[in-house]
Amino acid sequence: MGEVLAQAWAIAAKDLLLEFRSRTAFLSALVFTALVLAIFNFARDPTAVSSVDLAPSVLWITFSFAGVLGLNRAFGLEKENRAIDGLLLSPASRTALFLGKTLANLVFVGAVEAIALPLFALFFNVPLLEILGPLVLVIALATVGFVTVGTLMSSMAVNTRFGEMMLLVLVLPFLLTPVSTAAEMTARLFAHRPFAEWAPWLKLLAAYDIAFVVLCTLVFEFTLEE
Amino acid sequence: MTAIPSAERALKRGGILMAIGLAAVAVVYVRALVFTPEEATQGLAQKIFYIHVPSAWVALYLAYAIVGIFSVLYLLLKDPRLDLVASSSAEVGTVFATVVLITGPIWGKTVWGTWWTWDARLTSTLFLYFIYLAYLVLRSAVEEPGRRARYCAVLGILGALLVPFIHMTVYLFRTLHPMPVVLQPGRPQLPGSMLITLLSSFVAFTVFYAGLLARRYAWARLRAARAQEEADASR
Amino acid sequence: MPPANGGYMVAAYVAAGVIYLAYSVWLYWRSRDR
Repeated sequence: MGEVLAQAWAIAAKDLLLEFRSRTAFLSALVFTALVLAIFNFARDPTAVSSVDLAPSVLWITFSFAGVLGLNRAFGLEKENRAIDGLLLSPASRTALFLGKTLANLVFVGAVEAIALPLFALFFNVPLLEILGPLVLVIALATVGFVTVGTLMSSMAVNTRFGEMMLLVLVLPFLLTPVSTAAEMTARLFAHRPFAEWAPWLKLLAAYDIAFVVLCTLVFEFTLEE
Repeated sequence: MTAIPSAERALKRGGILMAIGLAAVAVVYVRALVFTPEEATQGLAQKIFYIHVPSAWVALYLAYAIVGIFSVLYLLLKDPRLDLVASSSAEVGTVFATVVLITGPIWGKTVWGTWWTWDARLTSTLFLYFIYLAYLVLRSAVEEPGRRARYCAVLGILGALLVPFIHMTVYLFRTLHPMPVVLQPGRPQLPGSMLITLLSSFVAFTVFYAGLLARRYAWARLRAARAQEEADASR
Repeated sequence: MPPANGGYMVAAYVAAGVIYLAYSVWLYWRSRDR
């Protein structure tokens, strides 16, 4: 078990180092985030709907799209020169490969979210400090949910004709539970509702995460060539 | 080569079952439209229920369960015929899901006054529809049959696990959100005649699905067998 | 007095019938010993 984690970490570190050197995907995700926030801010009529009502939806649309942008790069790195063969020939197990890739994606998307969240608070004038703890928990759980499935889909999408569009098509149905439950909880948090009110959604999201982390790890090997 | 004649026989049998199913659906049409009483408060549009609900049963549960089960079996046993059953069921299931998503809003318009609300059954069907579409697009996006089968099986299994989560998510929203309820188009108390129509409709649509699946699967097997024969001959 | 929504019923029944029939016919034709 420790062996698998160590390998996963090594794979994640390699990916993150490569990403850090080029930074293109990270920067595009950030620019995209800023753009979405700015457009929403200018496009809405401030007298019509209060910004706090819209805020959770805007936040989660931004996070999901930035997340998918990040996922596109997941296996794209190895596509050139069939570098994936090098990874497969290495002593790393399939499980370690999947966990490592997912971990790298989590760090990537997490970094975008960490920057987007304060930007978001700035644009929408939403005070975050009192609810920061639970909010981070909700964001983390939802991100684990869609990044895990997205990483698995990415390993298939990269080998298909449609590439990035394929990834979006594959991942879309799986976004319902993480994104809608997270948006719902975010809305309740902004309204300072008591924990008991949003606990059912938290349980559903946690169950989703457990179920899909396990399943994706189990089936990952079937997305690789023999 | 015994594969091709056997597939050809299966094709014929599938055709017969299809015809029986189609006839059964036609009988249900007549029974529902002519011989079933009109519901007192909802009007004639309530009869859409006899098409919508059994189609939803086939699309959401029966067809997708087959996709899920045969996807698991394929990954475990690697028999390409298992993949052909799964993909045939996905295609047929998509047809049924399309009908659900068209008849649902039409009925909903008469009951809710609007073409769409995030009703439990319609929302679940919509997201399952996205899974079906993803499956079909993935199928067309991978050329190599072995990889295509593997990828579709992976998606099939993930989709199967997703179905209960879709239901639970929608259920949570329904119960914890106050929603405008005009009339409940769900399960009304059904007097005898209507119940018989509904039950016979379930049977008819199930037979119809079975016939379509049988024909679609036989066709897939035939094409695979012919492709195999061509590949063997050119060696 | 129930609402007069027979038109919706017809639309739904026809739409469903057309879809099911069209798919059946397409499937039967395309799979006819090719």
